[in-house]
Amino acid sequence: MSDRKDIAKKEDKAIEKTRELRTAIPSVDIYENEDAILLHADMPGVKKEDVSVNIDNGTLSLSGVRRLEKTGVSTWEEFSDVEYVRSFSIPQSIDVERVEAELKDGVLKLHLSKSEAAKPKMIEIKAA
Amino acid sequence: MFTKLSDIDRMFGAMDLLRNRMDNLFDGIHRSFLSGPAVTLNSNSPRTNIVENGDNFEVQAEVPGISKDDLNIKIQGNYLEISGKRSVDTPDGYKVHRNERGGNTFSRSFTLPDELDADNVAATLENGILYLTLPKSETVTPKQITIN
Repeated sequence: MSDRKDIAKKEDKAIEKTRELRTAIPSVDIYENEDAILLHADMPGVKKEDVSVNIDNGTLSLSGVRRLEKTGVSTWEEFSDVEYVRSFSIPQSIDVERVEAELKDGVLKLHLSKSEAAKPKMIEIKAA
Repeated sequence: MFTKLSDIDRMFGAMDLLRNRMDNLFDGIHRSFLSGPAVTLNSNSPRTNIVENGDNFEVQAEVPGISKDDLNIKIQGNYLEISGKRSVDTPDGYKVHRNERGGNTFSRSFTLPDELDADNVAATLENGILYLTLPKSETVTPKQITIN
């Protein structure tokens, strides 16, 4: 009976989907003075080797992956494996060679130095 | 005239698809719990995971930017309270463009289902996550009752 055969037919449209890593947006603080721009981003649980900071053509991209070790059955789970991603447009005046980054206590601190040419200059007015 | 079972199958398949789409729609609500900033919970409560592991409770809390001295962990019976103060790290002389990480003090408390043994608690702070291992108190282990 052809009906029975239909039920028995395997559902070959079922594609196994591996669990994707959720993305999250880290909270940041941005500070600026005439020499540099500072950026502090909250990335708790991310290890140094899992962070990548990229500057390309005026865009700064941060990415940090956090993987937690699963120790048992969760009674209450509010945070888990996540990828922190955020991008910013940065002014052309940033000196890419001299960017410093530090990861401490789950906070990524970036120090973007402004290039000399971009620092504000006082223009002297000569009396005519 | 006879409804083919494959037709019914297909109908259920369509309903499944609809259900999945609706799930994905509502999934968005749950997403923010696992990945947004902690500020979306009631003011300044760090997000926490609790795992029950046989004889211990393991608690993990997201506390970025906090050093050991700024944290306070209090345990009483089956009540656990984590609180702390984040020192403001605004460097001097800088103008603030954006301040999303605000919020200095935070606190979160839990009443766990079993009594805790406060003397044997282990706590480590690593990469901005606080890991606590709370052993359950002895009185909780189930006893076998023998019938006379």
